[in-house]
Amino acid sequence: MQSVVHVCLAGLSNGMFIWLVASGLTLIFGVLGVLNFAHGSFYMLGAFCCFTVLKYLGAGFWIGLLAGPLMVCAAGFVVERFFLRYVYRIALPYQLLLTFAFVLIFDNLVKIVWGAGSLSPPPLSFLGGSIPILGRNFPVYNLFIIAVGPAVALLLWALLERTWWGRIIRASSSDREMAAGLGVRVPALFTGVFVFGTWLGALGGGLAVPYVGLLTPGMGETIIIEAFIVAVIGGLGSLKGAFAGALVIGVLSAFGTRFFPAFDMSLTFILMGGVLLWRPQGLFGAAR
Amino acid sequence: MGKKGMNRREFLKLTGAGSLAAATAGGLGVGLLAPKWVWGATPKVKGPIKVGYQAVLSGTLAGYGEFHKMGAQMAVEEINAKGGIAGQKVEMEFRDSTLKADDAIKNARYFVDSWGADFLAGIDSSGQALALAPVVAQLDRVLMITHAATEKLTEEFVFQKGIRQIFRICNATYHDANAAAFIAKDLPAVKWSTISPKYEYGFTCWKMFQDTLTKLKPGVSFTAESWAPFGTTDFRSHINTIMDAKPDGLYSTEWAGELISFVKQAKEAGLFEKVKHVMFPVGAAMDVLEGLGKDMPDNIWISGRYFFRFPNSKMNNDWVARFRKRWNHYPAYVSETGYSSIFAFKAAVEKAGSKDTKAVIAALEGMEMDSPGGHRVFRKEDHQALYDVPWGKTKADPKFPFKVMGETRLIPAKAYFNRPPFDGPGTRPPFA
Repeated sequence: MQSVVHVCLAGLSNGMFIWLVASGLTLIFGVLGVLNFAHGSFYMLGAFCCFTVLKYLGAGFWIGLLAGPLMVCAAGFVVERFFLRYVYRIALPYQLLLTFAFVLIFDNLVKIVWGAGSLSPPPLSFLGGSIPILGRNFPVYNLFIIAVGPAVALLLWALLERTWWGRIIRASSSDREMAAGLGVRVPALFTGVFVFGTWLGALGGGLAVPYVGLLTPGMGETIIIEAFIVAVIGGLGSLKGAFAGALVIGVLSAFGTRFFPAFDMSLTFILMGGVLLWRPQGLFGAAR
Repeated sequence: MGKKGMNRREFLKLTGAGSLAAATAGGLGVGLLAPKWVWGATPKVKGPIKVGYQAVLSGTLAGYGEFHKMGAQMAVEEINAKGGIAGQKVEMEFRDSTLKADDAIKNARYFVDSWGADFLAGIDSSGQALALAPVVAQLDRVLMITHAATEKLTEEFVFQKGIRQIFRICNATYHDANAAAFIAKDLPAVKWSTISPKYEYGFTCWKMFQDTLTKLKPGVSFTAESWAPFGTTDFRSHINTIMDAKPDGLYSTEWAGELISFVKQAKEAGLFEKVKHVMFPVGAAMDVLEGLGKDMPDNIWISGRYFFRFPNSKMNNDWVARFRKRWNHYPAYVSETGYSSIFAFKAAVEKAGSKDTKAVIAALEGMEMDSPGGHRVFRKEDHQALYDVPWGKTKADPKFPFKVMGETRLIPAKAYFNRPPFDGPGTRPPFA
């Protein structure tokens, strides 16, 4: 029992990270129609910027968490405004190539700025430490992460479904030309959505700083693959699907590691294969 | 098909003969045009001496490549400042091995076929080393392994299959597993467990540790194992597996950044209060010690391929001082093996009086050398270097911003390295 609960908690907290990264990825795909390989780089940059603020500027982790992702938004702006914007109209492979180029550029940029070695953040003061749950210690911070995930989901839902901005975004994503015809400044809107998606990925990276306890160049590569799997399982472009997918993958892989260690690396792929056979459009994807 | 003309085999025969003729003519031409070469007026070793070095420079372990490079580059600078190898300048090209087997092979081919390398060095991963071995035999250049540890490389490929081009200057899994078992037998722990990498290196070490420890201390049991795939950042489920089994000993060959994440997360979960006897065979790596700082718990048994405080010799202490002056860093263990590998090439070429692969292999076999890491002997049979590295218990020291080895134990390499022919009685420790 103790073990099952702890494995569940570990899976939930891990799933929340995948969700944070997958949400930005999904939002950008849903609205702009771009599969952004560089999204994992925004996660990495979020972590490094957050670390820089907390370590070199001497501010606490929480200030780093606020400021770091905002710094990364600038990078997101540059990528969309000066590069991606010019490839929307040409074939999909060019978009993929361009975003993949940014993966390489950002990885090397991180090595140039922060060095090739790993960086290790100091332990947290506020929300640091552990509390016993059923007689075994569990980090308080991880409980916080488990709460942040649904909070972000709620925020996104409210933003998209309950605000004027959300209505514009939904209108533009379902029919770009009609929205433009009705006077929506689609290019500016796309930039805004891309920057917001960037912020979500960078926030995930910032939150990962105390969770993983280590920053390395290339740290975005593992999580972007998981985020892609989650986005595909949930249905590309569906935020609801990404949230459900992240929870399932997070918990499933934690259980796999603990109870079926022989299959732990293949479980997520088996699940993805099964879902795609059964519902090729993903759990919450619209049939096309 | 069926038409007149050449078939493939005839064509090959012809071109083969043609190129042979061309080569002979070319050889004669060189001989005629450069008589001093024939008369031996210049030294036998023609320069420059080119070393193709590859280590991981990208991804999460990019820091390791940088540390290899610092050591190897420093050796090249020092050797060239004092007249080079046998009077010839040393040149080094450094490439990213990416930890992937096919990239390691591509790099090796590039080094030899396009760049004209005389020597190859580096390689971090055991999987890469095993994949590269047959290619090195074809390329016919000496490859000095400076990091990859699997004993299969030297036992199977060098000793059994006779790929004589491969040498290893760093410790093998014997140090991580056999020597660990020698330490573990004197600890009160009897129920051992592991969280280790889910690939060749992790599997082979855990098996060797179990075999040797069972021989040394027949009452021990092995209660839990959890294998973390490469790139694991969240060890919490693995930690749960271990805590459920309630062992009193934990042996882990996690290394580099993954060891840092693992230790931090295990500390949060209270693992070190529950499991009292913990061993990290590669925990004495500088990136781990510096990365963890005060977060590294006390009284954990750690070791590595080299630790900068040992041996306490003039050669080592001077080197560490020079290294810190040059790079503003304590040397990592791959810096030492990278540095010493270039000096091993120097000693071998000067002993052989040639940079020919055959002659260098003959010179390296059984060669003894003094290096910052201590006195090394390249065993003739399997080309593995024997040298002594201590194990020690972590302890804070006011002189350093990270934990160092407090109490240390040195088990001589001879006592725990598997011995040729690697099969049958008397080849595995303990030895009578």
